[in-house]
Amino acid sequence: MGIKGLTKLLADNAPKAMKEQKFESYFGRKIAIDASMSIYQFLIVVGRSGTEMLTNEAGEVTSHLQGMFNRTIRLLEAGIKPLYVFDGKPPDLKKQELAKRFSKRADATEDLAAAVESGVKEDIEKFSKRTVKVTKQHNDDCKRLLKLMGVPVIEAPSEAEAQCAMLCKSRKVYAVASEDMDSLTFGAPIFLRHLMDPSSRKIPVMEFEIPKILEELNLSMDQFIDLCILSGCDYCDSIRGIGGQTALKLIRQHGSIESILENINKERYQIPEDWPYQEARQLFKEPAVLTDEEQLDIKWTSPDDEGLITFLVNENGFNSDRVMKAIEKIKAAKNKSSQGRLESFFKPVANTSQPVKRKGTKCVLRPPKPAIKHKMLSLQVCNSMPKTIGSLSMLTLNLFPKQSTPSPRGVCFNA
Amino acid sequence: MLELRLVQGSLLKKVLEAIKDLVNDANFDCSSSGFSLQAMDSSHVALVALLLRSEGFEHYRCDRNMSMGMNLGNMSKMLKCAGNDDIITIKGDDGSDTVTFMFESPTQDKIADFEMKLMDIDSEHLGIPEAEYQAIVTMPSSEFARICKDLSSIGDTVVISVTKEGVKFSTRGDIGTANIVLRQNTTVDKPEDATVIEMNEPVSLTFALRYMNSFTKATSLSNTVKISLSSELPVVVEYKIAEMGYVRFYLAPKIEEDEDENETKPKV
Repeated sequence: MGIKGLTKLLADNAPKAMKEQKFESYFGRKIAIDASMSIYQFLIVVGRSGTEMLTNEAGEVTSHLQGMFNRTIRLLEAGIKPLYVFDGKPPDLKKQELAKRFSKRADATEDLAAAVESGVKEDIEKFSKRTVKVTKQHNDDCKRLLKLMGVPVIEAPSEAEAQCAMLCKSRKVYAVASEDMDSLTFGAPIFLRHLMDPSSRKIPVMEFEIPKILEELNLSMDQFIDLCILSGCDYCDSIRGIGGQTALKLIRQHGSIESILENINKERYQIPEDWPYQEARQLFKEPAVLTDEEQLDIKWTSPDDEGLITFLVNENGFNSDRVMKAIEKIKAAKNKSSQGRLESFFKPVANTSQPVKRKGTKCVLRPPKPAIKHKMLSLQVCNSMPKTIGSLSMLTLNLFPKQSTPSPRGVCFNA
Repeated sequence: MLELRLVQGSLLKKVLEAIKDLVNDANFDCSSSGFSLQAMDSSHVALVALLLRSEGFEHYRCDRNMSMGMNLGNMSKMLKCAGNDDIITIKGDDGSDTVTFMFESPTQDKIADFEMKLMDIDSEHLGIPEAEYQAIVTMPSSEFARICKDLSSIGDTVVISVTKEGVKFSTRGDIGTANIVLRQNTTVDKPEDATVIEMNEPVSLTFALRYMNSFTKATSLSNTVKISLSSELPVVVEYKIAEMGYVRFYLAPKIEEDEDENETKPKV
C-alpha cells in the first residue's frame, strides 16, 4: 500500500516537514478523507473477536457502519467538517497490484481454514484480519449512512487519494486524511495521518506539508514523484536493490528516472524489462479526478433523524437509545458557531531576530550539549588547526575564560 | 552578548504566570529597543504579545538582535525560585545553548544563578497591523476577571457588545442565561477604578470564555485592562506593565457558519 518506506525516509531526511498536531486543533477545518481506507480499517478493528464480527439480524457485517458512525461523530464534535471520498475504478496500472492482493487474500483464507481447524486463537485472529475485503455493499452502506448524517460524499472517477489531493490543491478542503502515503505523491499540500485513529489509542495526528518536504529534500515536485516511483508504488515494480535511501541519493545525483537509467550500473541493478514508470508518473501527475464545480458541490447539512433510525436501528440492529443520543450530538455540533483562527486575520511575516541556537550550521564538533562541554570541544579544534588561521583561533580562545563575543560558528566553518 | 537587569523582578515572574498556560514554548526576541515575545497557542486561536522596553531595565545590553527559544513551563519553574523583591538579571551569549537567570536579594547577601537550556522553536511570526478599533473599553482588571469567571460557570462563550448604553457581557448555557452591563463611570476616587468606553461604532462579538479566563491570569500585572473590539479583527486584551511595556492577548472571535467560504490559504 502506498509508497514503500516513505514515512521513514521523510522522518530521516525531512523531519521539519512532519509535525505532530492535536486532533482538537483541526476545528473548523474541512478535511477530505479517503473513505475506502477508513472502511477497511473499521472492518479489521471494530467489534471483532476472532472470526466473529458485529452483525445485524440477517448476519451481515455492520462493523463498518459502527466505525463510520462513531468516528464521524467524533470529527463533527471536534468541529471538523469531514468530506468522504470513495474510490472509483482502479487505474489499469494498479491491476497487477490488486491481483497480488487478491492472491494474498486467497492464501490467508486457506491459512484461516487451517487455523480454525487447529484452533490456535492468535492465528485465527491474524488470518481472518487478512481476509478482510471492502465490498461494494460496504461502500454503499457507508455512503447511505453518511448522506443521512448530512456529511458530503464524493465518488472519485478513479483513485480516492488523487481526488482528495485535487480538492486540497484547489483549496476546497484544508487537508487530506488517509493512511496511504500516495496522497503526498498526488501532491496533497497538507496530508494528515492518524486522524481517524480511535481516541483511545492517543496517537497524535501527524501532519505533512508538501512544500516543506520539497524544500527539505531539495527536490522539485517531479523529482519527488520519481523518488516515490523508485521507492516502490502501487502502479509499477521498483528496481531490485534500490530502496528509498538509494533512490533519494540517485534522484539528487541525476535528477530524473531517465537520467538515472542512463547512468546506473545495469549489471548491479536489474531494471525490470517492461517498466511502465512513465505511465505511473503520468498517473501521479495527471490522475483522473472530478474538477467540475457542480459535481463538487460540497455541503454539510442537518442529519435526517428518521432516516438514520430506520437504517441503523430497524435495518441493522443498532441500539435505538444510542443512535438517538448520537443524533443529538450531531445536531449540537452543528449548532456550535465555529471558532475563528488568527491566521485569517494576521499574516505571517519573517522574523528579523537571529536565533541564538543556530540551525542549519551542520557542525559535527558542536553537538547540542551543555555549554561547558562544547567549550572543551572548541578548544580541541583550535589546537588542531593550521597556523594560517591563527587569528581565528585566538578569537576562539577568548571564548574560554568568560565566554564573550565570538560565536563558535567560526570554528565550525574552519573545522 | 545579552545582559538585562530588572530591579522589579516580580514583574517577570508575574508575566510568566500570565502566559505559561496559554503557550508552551516561545521565542523571546531581544533587540536594542527591548525584550519581546510573540506566540500563539497550539490551536492558533489566541496570541500573546509581550513587550518590555529597554528603558524599563536598570541595565540593558543587547549587542545584536537575537531570539531565544524557551519552554515557558521550565522558565516559570526557575523564576519561581526568585523572591518577590529580588533583582532578576537575564544573561545570554551568542551561540550559547543556555540562558542564565541571576537572582539577587535586595540586600545583596544572596545571589543565585539558574542556567536554563534553550531550544529550537520553529514558530511563525504574525504581522499585526496597527488598527482603528470600533470600540475600546478600559476597566478595572479585577472586575473583568470577575465577570469572566462568573460567566464561565454558566456558559462556554461570551458575547461582548458595546453600544451607547455601555458594554454588555452575556452568555447562555444549559442552566440559563446571564447578562452583565457596565456603564461608563469616570466619577471615581481613584483613576484605576474608572470604566471608560470609547465607541466609534456599536460592535458585538462572541468569544470562547476558556481563553478569556486564561488572559485574566495577567490581572496582577495591572489595575486596569483595555479591551479593543472591531468586527473585522480579533479582540485585544491589554495589560500595561508598570511604565515599561505591556502584555497583549489577541483572540479570534467565534464566527457564524458561512457555507460558501473557501478554506483560507494554508500557510506555506
